[in-house]
Amino acid sequence: MLIRNWLHYIREAFSSVYRNGWMSFASIGVVAVTLFILGSFILLNINVEYIAEDVKQQVEIVAFVEESLAADEVDLLRVSLIRMEKVEEVRFVSREDALERLKEEFGPLVEGFEGRERNPLRDSFEIRAIIPEDIPALAKEVAELPGIARVDYGRGVVEQLFSITGVVRLIGIAFMIGLALTAMFLIANTIKLTVNARAKEIMIMKYVGATEWFVRWPFLIEGVLLGFFGALLPTVLLMLVYSEAVAWTSLNLHFLPLVSPGMVIMELAQLLLVLGTVIGGIGSLVSMRRFLKV
Amino acid sequence: MIEFQRVSMAYPNGVTALKSINLSVEQGEFVFLVGESGAGKSTLIRLLCRELLPTEGSIRVQGRDIARLKRREVPFFRRNIGVVFQDFRLLENRTVYENVAFAMQVVGATGRDIRRRVPDALQLVGLAAKAKMKPLELSGGEQQRVCLARAIVNQPSLIIADEPTGNLDPRTSMGIMDALKSINIRGTTVIMASHDKEIVDAMRQRVLVLDGGKVVRDERRGVYCQHAN
Repeated sequence: MLIRNWLHYIREAFSSVYRNGWMSFASIGVVAVTLFILGSFILLNINVEYIAEDVKQQVEIVAFVEESLAADEVDLLRVSLIRMEKVEEVRFVSREDALERLKEEFGPLVEGFEGRERNPLRDSFEIRAIIPEDIPALAKEVAELPGIARVDYGRGVVEQLFSITGVVRLIGIAFMIGLALTAMFLIANTIKLTVNARAKEIMIMKYVGATEWFVRWPFLIEGVLLGFFGALLPTVLLMLVYSEAVAWTSLNLHFLPLVSPGMVIMELAQLLLVLGTVIGGIGSLVSMRRFLKV
Repeated sequence: MIEFQRVSMAYPNGVTALKSINLSVEQGEFVFLVGESGAGKSTLIRLLCRELLPTEGSIRVQGRDIARLKRREVPFFRRNIGVVFQDFRLLENRTVYENVAFAMQVVGATGRDIRRRVPDALQLVGLAAKAKMKPLELSGGEQQRVCLARAIVNQPSLIIADEPTGNLDPRTSMGIMDALKSINIRGTTVIMASHDKEIVDAMRQRVLVLDGGKVVRDERRGVYCQHAN
């Protein structure tokens, strides 16, 4: 391909963005608005999942040890728990420690249970699973070990929590795909308007013997430019807004764990810029296709 | 140069626009296509530009069967043809000069060639002084001459003009005809569809009369006849 032609394509694309001032402005606006909504939703979704993951990590199994077990037998039990495939971490909580915890929470209500004979609590293990979703199955396995009296993991609540986070994720993905498609549709349509306005130009080009790619390139570059500049705006805006939001939340709502901006923002920026550019280019090519058939 | 052999053209909606047409045009000829609306003039022109493909028969231009051109060859075929439209089809947001230069950029001409040939073409149609104006600042006749300059700037061997004087007054029309004639004298074949009796009669060139999709009359140095049958 001749450099002369490339210079022509690029010059044409830029001057066309300029010549079709309002149309270009509208296209960039539509790209910016849709990608801003999409970007916000992606951030929201990432954070909902992050919080759900955080909640899940806090779920653990409590396995109570039979009272008849001697100290060395408890130790053996601990080792066999640690060796289990799905287990991430095992913590031993002696009945004394358990009583201390109760005291911390309820204070004077539990006075008078000190001493080996009067303490009604049992030794227990607190077990965390590598994958939180494995907890129900793991609890079952643990319950079958000799020396374990009872297993508790918030049956029912846990299953519900997991199914809710699963649904939230599915809804999130569906929404994101829907938004991405809407963005594509809107952008392609706006570009179609700019192309429609120039059907005559395309026709003349075809009549004087322009090759199809000679007609296409300037439009393709123009679409890419519109898409790119349209994506730049929401990218910068989301970067600023999200950083602010995270800073504010960590000060005022510190129980709410948000994904730190550094972890997501670059990837989000890449995604939005690539999406804008690709949609711009494809939208432009698709919209002009029918005018090429002269 | 142009050879139609038993060319028929039926549109998908069932309308038969041309019925088994035979005709040949030599290099350097000036041919008027005459006939009433719906006689098939526009169809014939669109076939020549390869905008349409005939349903039957073959069309040869400079020895090549244009129905057999591959899609990517069509642009290169069209570079041999300059088309002048009744409605001008100029780009309003570009100057006269840019409109003509546009046709050269499209075929990948160098900047030097463009700077050399565009003024020549404008000179030939008598618009050298208005190169920097926009089409809408010109009269209809002037706009048509821009269109003509655009058609000839790539030095095609064939000019096709579809009612180029259709929207112009008689005097302006004669100006356009003079320009076409001078292009023709340099060896370019001209095929022009026209309704304009005075022009056709004044030029005394070959006249092809179409009626109901058939060539009903073909005369060297002919005249326009409203009721040719």
